[in-house]
Amino acid sequence: MKIQIIGFGVIGQGFLRVLLKKKEELEMAGEDIKIVSITDISGTAYNDKGIDFEKALETVKNSGRIIDYPEARKISGLEAIEEIDADLVLELTPSNIKTGEPGLSHMLAAMKAGKHLVTSNKAPLALKFKKLVETAEKNGVEFRYEATVGGAMPIINLARETLSADRILSIEGILNGTTNYILTRMTQEGAEFEHVLKEAQQLGYAETDPTYDIGGIDTASKLVILANALMGMNATYKDVKTHGITRITPEAIKLARESGYVIKLIGEVKNGILEVAPRLVQVSHPLNVGGALNVAMLTCDIAGEITVAGKGAGAIETNSAILSDIISITGRR
Amino acid sequence: MKENCGDIMRISLDLELKDMPGQLIGALEPISEFGANVISIVHIREEERVRSGKTHVHFVVDVESIDVIERIATELGSRDIKIVKLGEAIRKRRVGVLIIGHVVDTDLRDTIDRINELSGVMVSDMSLSMPKPEKESSALFDIELAEKANQKDVLDRLCEIAREKNLEVIRSLEV
Repeated sequence: MKIQIIGFGVIGQGFLRVLLKKKEELEMAGEDIKIVSITDISGTAYNDKGIDFEKALETVKNSGRIIDYPEARKISGLEAIEEIDADLVLELTPSNIKTGEPGLSHMLAAMKAGKHLVTSNKAPLALKFKKLVETAEKNGVEFRYEATVGGAMPIINLARETLSADRILSIEGILNGTTNYILTRMTQEGAEFEHVLKEAQQLGYAETDPTYDIGGIDTASKLVILANALMGMNATYKDVKTHGITRITPEAIKLARESGYVIKLIGEVKNGILEVAPRLVQVSHPLNVGGALNVAMLTCDIAGEITVAGKGAGAIETNSAILSDIISITGRR
Repeated sequence: MKENCGDIMRISLDLELKDMPGQLIGALEPISEFGANVISIVHIREEERVRSGKTHVHFVVDVESIDVIERIATELGSRDIKIVKLGEAIRKRRVGVLIIGHVVDTDLRDTIDRINELSGVMVSDMSLSMPKPEKESSALFDIELAEKANQKDVLDRLCEIAREKNLEVIRSLEV
């Protein structure tokens, strides 16, 4: 399986590290995964016999740019997709909820070039899910995106494969680890929101611009993907009623606690309505998970309520989902 | 810490007790032991019954299920206390709504009245937290919804109040 990586940030570099870690197991399982190109904003490193993982990681660690890898060319992601022979494109560029670009163009180009697509990039799916699915079907390629929702927490493939006999009636869950971390710390320490946010940024749990997380935008994107993928809806990001957590106070959390509740940022799709908002969750409820964990409860027509939880982010954890998607595709060939 | 949410049933029981000291405690013990929440007690002393050494006490309790009433009835029976009348169970749901903002300054009484205006909806309890005057306060309402209450009306009313008064409304998962 020849793979092109488009986007070589935290997740892309994490992918190479996971492949190195899993090298023996993959060989024993007969998986022959070769990375033939890596593209970032500076250019594309290319080798049809396979990129040297350690060299690529070292290059980016030293200079921050893949163009400094030997034999690299100054070509863009789109050019790399069009010119380089590969079986699968791994699209890992940053999520842009306004336009979905450049990820959306990469994804469509990859599938039109007859290449399978695996991605962790949410925004294109939150904006143009139907178009992406139709393009994959039209071109007879696989399109898998488990890593776009919940990181290592299995949900999309769980629902579609293991729960294939069930109809999903509703989904609710904590889909953003940053806001869960902040609310958990506020609950445990009685601390103010601004103080905990600052610490979260210093520890790397929150971005320098945390708007996507604390404003509920990240959760809304993921909710759209789940609604479309698991409930057959045709929703976009604009269909989600979204409220973030910026007005939550320690006093509010304490009042809630005294009545047997915690406050969590919940994404919910039920009765055709998509909403992201802080909600009161009973302390004993399965959705009350702490720290930076994600959790999702699916209400199924036969199985009833199924709850899954796991690490929603992290370079290595997210790659559990990415590698699982790639292995599913190699297994179907 | 109380747990104050979920489905509840409100039911009335008329018990016949011997008219002597200690009987009321004997009736209250199983009611409390099996988790019923006593809403009201009315002691009905009628001349005729008192002459026969009996008295009636009217209880209204909230329970989570009819099983609880059955367990109470069995225990009362073992104490020779008769249930002479059992009222119809009225099903209610209890949900929590937390409001953040200048909840007092934006006329808290009006906020509660506008929720109570809705058919089958009642704010049954409230807790309030007011830090420094310049900071936003929080109020947590326990709201009882009768079976006939329209959940969408409740949601719409809460959104309307939140918009007008610049309040953050945080609902429990049940709403």
